Amino acid sequence: MQNDVLIDERPGLAPAARRLCHVKDIGEGEARGFGPLPGSKRKIIVLRRKGVLHAWLDACPHYATGTPMAWKTDAYLNGEKTHLTCHSHHALFDMETGECVLGPCLGQTLTRIDIVVGEEGDVFVAAPAEET
Amino acid sequence: MNIIGPDYLVFGVDDVAAACEYLTAFGLKPVDVTEKGGRFETLDGTGVVVRHKSDPTLPPPLPTSNMLRQQVYGVRSAADLDAIEAELSSDRRVTRLSDGSIELKDDHGFELKFQVTIRRELDMPAEKINAPGAPAQRGPNEIGVWEDMPALPRTLSHVVLFVPDIEIATHFYCERLGFVVTDILTGAGPFLRPKANDDHHTLFFIRTPDYMKGCEHLAFHMGGPTELMVAGTRFVKKGYQSFWGPGRHKFGSNWFWYFNSPLGCHFEYDADMDKHDDSWVAREAPNGAEASQIVLFEMREKWAPGGGPPPGAKG
Repeated sequence: MQNDVLIDERPGLAPAARRLCHVKDIGEGEARGFGPLPGSKRKIIVLRRKGVLHAWLDACPHYATGTPMAWKTDAYLNGEKTHLTCHSHHALFDMETGECVLGPCLGQTLTRIDIVVGEEGDVFVAAPAEET
Repeated sequence: MNIIGPDYLVFGVDDVAAACEYLTAFGLKPVDVTEKGGRFETLDGTGVVVRHKSDPTLPPPLPTSNMLRQQVYGVRSAADLDAIEAELSSDRRVTRLSDGSIELKDDHGFELKFQVTIRRELDMPAEKINAPGAPAQRGPNEIGVWEDMPALPRTLSHVVLFVPDIEIATHFYCERLGFVVTDILTGAGPFLRPKANDDHHTLFFIRTPDYMKGCEHLAFHMGGPTELMVAGTRFVKKGYQSFWGPGRHKFGSNWFWYFNSPLGCHFEYDADMDKHDDSWVAREAPNGAEASQIVLFEMREKWAPGGGPPPGAKG
């Protein structure tokens, strides 16, 4: 599983180490990158689309090991702000499904990161099922 | 046909402000740039033209998501334009513009323009190094690096294209326009240099599916590996995203550092590329990590040992 390579120590992380941001940090239609979490090489992109938060591993599936997608810190969207975009070759991804709709990795999908929102509004990477 | 190399690449982007910010931070100088975009140049005048993708003055887009609209090649003289027109007008439309330049499409549909080159002759030293056994290149009291040392792109070096058919691409540039194959990465494609340029390559092809056709990257020559790493480090510190490097390629021997961009392709700083003449015999190697680089590094934040002995050390 690709996740195992990129977030290999995630199961052992304490909740504080899994914190990404606060729900108020991400406005509607915005995307930002957080991390990498301890043990991972890649950031996690958190975006809000139609009011719902989604999180994706910052790793374009065009190359086997994944490559970072922003052109600058937190610059993850295309000019029209309609798609998550890899700024290696301008691959466009659906913000809600992670599917590549145009570009080199056409038909491939970003790796979704399961997130949970705490009582104070903090956004965490979800703990593995056996810990909850 | 004395083709020298790319004078400009023209892009139609979806965010002109982002592209302008990026190109300026990369080290290109805005020339006649407005909110509609404009021209960004290196020290010798070559560079990039960027406009919004809906700008009617742009050549038509490729049938992919790539933002490259035109490659503008510089030639030595008007006679070279006449020779290109004579060669290519036999099987395609060649449009002569009022300034004497000519426009046409290559065999993959990439828009090309040829003009008498606008590049200015540079008169600048290369990076100087000192080594035992060789005469000192930097004499007494001449320092090698300093905090504010200049590290700006000197010239547009080369273009790398995603093309679906290597044979079609190679035939067009070599048989019709006189380019020479210097080396081949089997499985990717050939490195090409035009007749009037002794750089290892100004053009390289990578074979890809049709839906990827476009520009993979463009590269700019720096004054040496130190300038390359200084420019790249400054770029990363401003928040721009490294893609690959710094490192040094095998074929061409050039140092490299690639970055993501809002122009739909990578931008590369390169330095210290090999020179060749017509006596060179092309090498061939299977494409892959080993063949593509002699060394590869990854940037990390500045760090230094110090601050006393490690925890638990005696004494």
